[in-house]
Amino acid sequence: MKELWYQYHLEILFSEPAKDHRFTVKSIPHSDERQEIIGQKIEIVPNEFLCDSRDSFGNLCVYGNSKGWYEKFEVLVEGTAKTGLLPYVTETSPEKIGIFKYPSVYTKPGKHLRQLFDTFDFAGSDTVLPKVMQMTEKLYDIFSYQKGVTDISTTAEEAMERGGGVCQDYAHILIALCRMAGIPARYVVGMMVGEGASHAWVEVFSQGKWYGFDPTNRLLVEDQHIKISYGRDYRDCVLNQGVFIGGGRQRQTVHVKVEER
Amino acid sequence: MYEMDLIDRTDSVNELLARYGVKFGIYKNNTFREQLFPFDAIPRIISKTEFDRLDKGLRQRVKALNLFLEDIYNEKRILRDQVIPEEFIYASSGYLAQCEGIRPPKDVYSHISGIDLVQGKDREWYILEDNLRVPSGASYPMIARELCRRCSPRTFQEYHIEDNRNYADLLSHVMNYVNTGGLTVVLTPGRYNAAYFEHSYLAERTHVPLVSGSDLVVENDHLYFIDYSGKKERVGAVYRRISDEYLDPMSFNEESVIGIPNIFDIYRKGNVALLNAPGNGIADDKGIYYFVPKMIRYYLGEEPILKNAPTYLPFYQEDMTYTMEHFDELVWKDVAEAGGYGVVFGSKMTKQQKEDFIRLVKAEPRRFIAQEVIDFLDLDIMEEGKAVPRKADLRAFVLSAEEPVVWKSGLTRFSRNPDSFIVNSSQGGGFKDTWVLNQ
Repeated sequence: MKELWYQYHLEILFSEPAKDHRFTVKSIPHSDERQEIIGQKIEIVPNEFLCDSRDSFGNLCVYGNSKGWYEKFEVLVEGTAKTGLLPYVTETSPEKIGIFKYPSVYTKPGKHLRQLFDTFDFAGSDTVLPKVMQMTEKLYDIFSYQKGVTDISTTAEEAMERGGGVCQDYAHILIALCRMAGIPARYVVGMMVGEGASHAWVEVFSQGKWYGFDPTNRLLVEDQHIKISYGRDYRDCVLNQGVFIGGGRQRQTVHVKVEER
Repeated sequence: MYEMDLIDRTDSVNELLARYGVKFGIYKNNTFREQLFPFDAIPRIISKTEFDRLDKGLRQRVKALNLFLEDIYNEKRILRDQVIPEEFIYASSGYLAQCEGIRPPKDVYSHISGIDLVQGKDREWYILEDNLRVPSGASYPMIARELCRRCSPRTFQEYHIEDNRNYADLLSHVMNYVNTGGLTVVLTPGRYNAAYFEHSYLAERTHVPLVSGSDLVVENDHLYFIDYSGKKERVGAVYRRISDEYLDPMSFNEESVIGIPNIFDIYRKGNVALLNAPGNGIADDKGIYYFVPKMIRYYLGEEPILKNAPTYLPFYQEDMTYTMEHFDELVWKDVAEAGGYGVVFGSKMTKQQKEDFIRLVKAEPRRFIAQEVIDFLDLDIMEEGKAVPRKADLRAFVLSAEEPVVWKSGLTRFSRNPDSFIVNSSQGGGFKDTWVLNQ
């Protein structure tokens, strides 16, 4: 168990003033069996109209809008997480598992994923977790961490073809492989010790519980990860979305800090 | 019957329809064209007894489909009890995970259902497909009836026909029933939409504002309409004529500029009614169609009154074997397509096309259904003063508030091409009025 202080900071600078900005912020962790969130502070500027909401997976959102012209939009989420309370989270709605069993937009397999999948030998591992570990290790070995090779619209199949990518791609590929093996798997976005940006990993379902695997770091998710939200793939977990009126360009920066206390 | 006064006045009716702007927009090869929706004055006539049976069957079907939608986005009993394989839900583009756990106001999902039927030569009615997203078409027989009455009042004295001009009342009742407080509006993507005439006509007939996405805003968990003068009024029900994916860029297609940001958040909270409910596409998926008779038995414990066209799912090995043996006799449909697209007749494929198609079916069996070709009962249309037979279908409209109610009319579409089975207006067909006799 660890006690982690975290800070998520997003800043969007508009080169020309924007107005009628409407946004949804989903970079808000919440407590579950694995982690306890203490003293969380959420600051959004501008904040004329803010409302709490939850998406269909139960992830927390704040949405809102601003009327006037402005040049800067800022989100700050800060708090402390007690992590690793349990190595899993229990599924309370087992009827919903099927949502995570079939290919989604980002995880639909093609030739390259099928080729990789065919190299696995599951003989001797008749339970879920060893199978996922085997896939995680293999993926870690053959896929290289590289920035700039992929972007947020890259699918698992495309990333596999390119042979390298970032945490989002590792997660999508592992999800695709798990689903090919008939294992329900979901995409998780969160924060991690030592990462300057948000991080992505995978949860797989076994006997009523979800277990976290971090293929980018070849790790089981224990107490270094703070979970923010989950979904079928990246699409369900976009941390910030917005539309505005204005002709300028926008520059977005995200800083994440996680420190052990 | 062709001595009917009305038929002699076909041209007058068509002129009036043109003058009233009864048009249908078509996009083909990236260009937009508006065309008149040709009207044929020979009505489809449905006797009272025949309609009574249709009425019972359609109400039963829509009731079951509504229960299915409620179940599939909540408890999913029908999957647990293995009546429908879960793959048919989760791998379908019609299923929207965003709708999980949402209960729309008054638990109505399919407020306006457009059920397409055909009558076979055996006089039996068959359901061709269910349209539970935003079915269009009711406005055409509504206005056609109005104009026919004007052109030939005599005809309507001679025949005892159920008045279909109550559609607006039925629709208003449904909108008011689910309204969560405030105005009702009709939301249109604008005048380049295929059914723009219908949007404006229905708004006018139900006396509600016709609005576009930019007229509506979400603020503090409620939806508001801002009119041309800047006046702001709360909205409790949106009869939205835009598809789910464009409804809210925050929850669906982020590129949508015709939607309303965060409308889905307040819908989830029960602060606005959306007609029809988002996510309904799972119920009118062509793969799910096969299961509707099973749904009726499962949810209502009744035998289906109306039949499906005989359908096979190559997903099941037994059906795969049958459909491969009888490939040429069947019509094949891609479950992901709509509007008459993605429909191919086994008998009309070349050898090469057939081989490619079979490979596709074997690779993705869930994507296809195969149906026996129904021997349609043709309806006559007038062409250059002569009655000639054409293929036709019937879109029946079922409006659901407390209980489903079947509109005593419907849109009869026909194919103008004598060799074509496809009657969709997006493929250039015409339409007729549908008379339900009241004695």
